[in-house]
Amino acid sequence: MTLSRLIFRSMRKNLKQYYLYFFALIFSVTLCFSFTTLQYNPSVIEALEQSGTASTGFKVASYILYVIITLFVLYASQLFMKRRSKEIGLYQLIGMTKGLVVRLIALENIVLFVLAVCIGMIFGFFSSRLFAMILMKMLEIDMVINLSFSKEAFNQSVLIFAILLVVIILQLVWMVRRVSLLSLFSATKQADERVKRFSIFESIMGLLGLLLIAFGYYFSTILFDVKISFLNNLFLNMIIILASTMLGTFLFFRYSVSLIMNAIRTRKKGHLKVSDVLAITPIMHRMKGNSKSLTLITLLTGLAVGIMSLSYISYYSSGTNARQASPYDYILLNNKGTEFLEQLELEGIQYEQDTYSISTVMLNIKDLVSEHIGEVAIFEGESETTVVPLSDLHKIEPDVQLADGEAALTSYVNVLAEIMQLNAGKEITVKAGETEIPLYITEIREDFLLSEHVAQGSPILVVTDEMFKEIQSNNVEETAFTSQIGINLTDKKDRERAEEIYKPYERYIVNEETGASFPLPSYEELRKRNITGLGLTIFVTAFLGFAFLLTTGSILYFKQMAEAEDERESYRILRKIGFSTNELLKGIYAKQAFNFGVPLVIGLLHSYFAVKSGWWLFGTEMVAPLIITMSLYVIMYAVFAVLSIQYYKKVVRESL
Amino acid sequence: MSVLVGRKIRKIYGKKSTAQEVLKGIDIEVSKGEFVGIMGPSGSGKTTLLNVLCSIDHPTEGVVEINGQSLSGMKEKELAKFRREQLGFIFQDYNLLDTLTVKENILLPFSISKLPKAAAESRLKELVELLGITDILNKYPNEVSGGQKQRTSAARALITNPTLVFADEPTGALDSKSATALLTNLEKINQHKSATIMMVTHDSVAASFCSRVLFLKDGAIYTEVYRGDKTRQQFFQQIMNTQSVLGGDGYDA
Repeated sequence: MTLSRLIFRSMRKNLKQYYLYFFALIFSVTLCFSFTTLQYNPSVIEALEQSGTASTGFKVASYILYVIITLFVLYASQLFMKRRSKEIGLYQLIGMTKGLVVRLIALENIVLFVLAVCIGMIFGFFSSRLFAMILMKMLEIDMVINLSFSKEAFNQSVLIFAILLVVIILQLVWMVRRVSLLSLFSATKQADERVKRFSIFESIMGLLGLLLIAFGYYFSTILFDVKISFLNNLFLNMIIILASTMLGTFLFFRYSVSLIMNAIRTRKKGHLKVSDVLAITPIMHRMKGNSKSLTLITLLTGLAVGIMSLSYISYYSSGTNARQASPYDYILLNNKGTEFLEQLELEGIQYEQDTYSISTVMLNIKDLVSEHIGEVAIFEGESETTVVPLSDLHKIEPDVQLADGEAALTSYVNVLAEIMQLNAGKEITVKAGETEIPLYITEIREDFLLSEHVAQGSPILVVTDEMFKEIQSNNVEETAFTSQIGINLTDKKDRERAEEIYKPYERYIVNEETGASFPLPSYEELRKRNITGLGLTIFVTAFLGFAFLLTTGSILYFKQMAEAEDERESYRILRKIGFSTNELLKGIYAKQAFNFGVPLVIGLLHSYFAVKSGWWLFGTEMVAPLIITMSLYVIMYAVFAVLSIQYYKKVVRESL
Repeated sequence: MSVLVGRKIRKIYGKKSTAQEVLKGIDIEVSKGEFVGIMGPSGSGKTTLLNVLCSIDHPTEGVVEINGQSLSGMKEKELAKFRREQLGFIFQDYNLLDTLTVKENILLPFSISKLPKAAAESRLKELVELLGITDILNKYPNEVSGGQKQRTSAARALITNPTLVFADEPTGALDSKSATALLTNLEKINQHKSATIMMVTHDSVAASFCSRVLFLKDGAIYTEVYRGDKTRQQFFQQIMNTQSVLGGDGYDA
């Protein structure tokens, strides 16, 4: 038989046996090529330039993608090569030289790669259009995306996979050198290494792992506590949290799992159930070999879900964010620009308007924070705080009640509210002009009523109408803002026209003479800016998250396939002595629930605590985006779990 | 009373063009308390016969009844239950799970069929004392010797008080001392607990522990010899003689 025929034959056999490796390759090429094609697509570039979004995000993301793909392909090839070590040994046993074996398998890999790159590029070319359409949808840009073949994308993808191929062949050379004929005959040795007793050291490490994770979680919840974080070591604290959860995760998989399972198992004193036999004991004994990859998968899952959630939170919050900056569709200050209203009426556009009276007092915020936060020096001194009368607040919240001498604070959320919580039920003294006025704060509210330019990010004080008049009269100097008109369109269909009418009023002129002014964009304008700024980010993170998910899921699946093959013998024994397929499958379900569920659950927990500790830096709404991201991740993960169960089913059926 | 009845068992492997008849119409009957050996040269169909009789494999034709129950009509699930409750198995390569301790391996059949723990413990105690493996109960299979592994396997086969124990070359991987110890134990259990045992072997020494030995040749029963009142030595001699008549690679163990 000539070499080429041998290659062809073994290829045909292996393609059937290792079709998954082939799929993994095709899939990687698709992912890589579709992303780079998208990156170099002229319509996309044009659209991004129009919306003023920087394309550096794309560049960074493509490098991350290359890293993911490289790791994935290397891992897959190693996994599948390992399975062939016997075959390689056999070739040598029948007298082939190592060089010939390397050439044989290298050629096989070259053919495989070339095929995969060709097929993957076809898929990638078409899927890139789909991705481009998703991106445009996210950016709210109406644009027809043209399919265009990019030479740069082609070159880059080919280069990446050529390098990968070289690395894999080098790996192969190393592996063939290492495989000795002896290893052909030492199949049983593996089992000896697998089964070991538990030492005290392992028990301690197991406990330590759990403690480290718990500590990391706890520390993350107080990370932004003012007293701790303002002492300049925020970065150090983050490193501590990361290190402790990462190390904890590893120790958990390496020791804690076995420890817990061994505890369950010893308690049964030898009387095991099917699930113990098929899930607990094999997992326990495999943990040593599996711990590294499970740790990696868990951390990657945590990272991916965390980043995806955060970027989704910002995207999701783009509307609310804009609402906080501009609580009304359009805002006019100090009665300037009322011509806008006339024009609206002229065009027959219906609207509602609320008018607010505005004044200011001097307030010492230190009076309202909890004691331990108050010690931090930055709260010393008084600050100007905007005041509105209760009757104005009633325009959006009719139920609020205040008695004489009472007041409420509102518009207090987000970053400030997270870092320093204000407490209601406190007596404070405010200063209006030179007069000191005692007030009792009844509650801290979250409504937004004034433009961000008025409130300047501070909370707004709401007082009774009488008190407001008193404050107004005491303020000798005129305050910067005395009134605000908030306008909401009755019919959102008019928005497009109204935006055009508003254009000339977009700048608020502070002083006609000096020409000092500041922008006063409409709500819609603010929202659009947020969307275009974040759309690309979320698209890129979602794409990367998707890549993470598919690669980690595939790795778990490949590993489970290998494990199923290893367990085939156990299944044969069990079926011989009278376990039915269904009974075995019950145990296998439990085992797969662990293998897929635990990395997923811990990964999600990691991301939950990570997101929870700092989400407010990114947006205004945590629960919904987090739940949506996590659910999508879980569903896609479940697909891999189901696939692996199908594989186990096949193995169990064939085992007898 | 017959525990096992096999009638006109035929087994054909392969498709029509490549069909190979491994069992050519075998009739067999085993009474309660018997210790039956099946011998024959390689390829004579010993293991196939055992697999068919113990429900792991299906006969192409013919009937197998154990304890009056026919195996042919049963579904996979029923067969599994039947094997678990009525049959015990001892294999050449022990077939123990590496991840379980000796005790867990022995109690494995009870992981599905519910038996009160106390009852299981007392059965376990009796068996391990009889087989002399009390000291290794908490060890893993890879920490004990081949002989001990095989006795563990025997204990697992016997723990359910099966109607019939099938042993496929149980001494194949053991040195002669461990083999003799195991066979003595099996003989003892056969006599004391009147367990019915059916053993495939091509070792004449092992066969000499049986009360009856069947000889298979080319898929059919060639002859059978009974031990009767003979000593083991005499019976061994008789088996050797039969084998030489049978010819071929008779003594290849």
